[in-house]
Amino acid sequence: MIIWVLYDIGKDKARTKAAKRCQQAGLYRVQFSCFLGTLTQNQKDTLQLQLEELIDEETDKVYIFPMSRGELQQTALLGQAFDKKLVTDEIRALFF
Amino acid sequence: MTLTPSHIIEHLFCPRFTYFEYVLAIPQYEEKNYKVMRGRNLHDERLERNKDYLRKRVGRPGAPVTEKHTDQYLTNELMRGVVDEVLGFGDGTMAPLDYKFAEYKDKVYETYRTQLYCYAWLIEVNFGRLVDRGFLVYTRSNNRVVEVPITEEDKLDVKQAAEAIFTIIDRNFYPKATKAKARCVTCTYRNICIK
Repeated sequence: MIIWVLYDIGKDKARTKAAKRCQQAGLYRVQFSCFLGTLTQNQKDTLQLQLEELIDEETDKVYIFPMSRGELQQTALLGQAFDKKLVTDEIRALFF
Repeated sequence: MTLTPSHIIEHLFCPRFTYFEYVLAIPQYEEKNYKVMRGRNLHDERLERNKDYLRKRVGRPGAPVTEKHTDQYLTNELMRGVVDEVLGFGDGTMAPLDYKFAEYKDKVYETYRTQLYCYAWLIEVNFGRLVDRGFLVYTRSNNRVVEVPITEEDKLDVKQAAEAIFTIIDRNFYPKATKAKARCVTCTYRNICIK
């Protein structure tokens, strides 16, 4: 499934770690605190637990939103947009 | 060599698993799996807390929980294992209790059942008392306790699986893969297994 991960984390160290975890899970960095990519149910669950351990539950915010492929195609992107095909794994390799 | 419940579970998942891991000795790098490691640490954390607490509510009417043995290392001729808790009841029966770093999704999966069957067999051999059920504690569902019945056939199935594993390991036998193709998708040995 396609997953959005958005976060607002106060501590620099925890925030850097959160970004690293998202990228290790195979997500694509859309903005500084916003990641997008395709994960399996188990990968999503793992990422959720990892982020849960990093954050301070009193102040920080982490949102994990699933989205269907159809809904992603309907998304409006203005300006410097990301590549939808890259995110949905339609492009498997960047070089031929 | 003695087996652990994990060997049995892996073997029932796919007999090739036993071959790759214990005949060819190819590791599956479990320590790189975050959820696996969280689950392992869970037992250490839990041991520190509520040492003397008896789970009275899991007893049957007229046969309350009377004793508990934590972290029991048990062995028999084929197998070894550490049971998180062995509970003793007033009617002379016993039951294993195992903690899981998992959520309860209205269904007890076969792997968890198998593990309890292994423990049941170990407890019967070591304590000489009947085991006809086991318990699972789902720590990610608010420590929900689920009872699992254990029959004689279940314990027999585990024994047969244990013998099958020794056939593979002792004779370097390359077994047929599981018929359930869905398991191949997430298997750690999918890249080296012959289809």
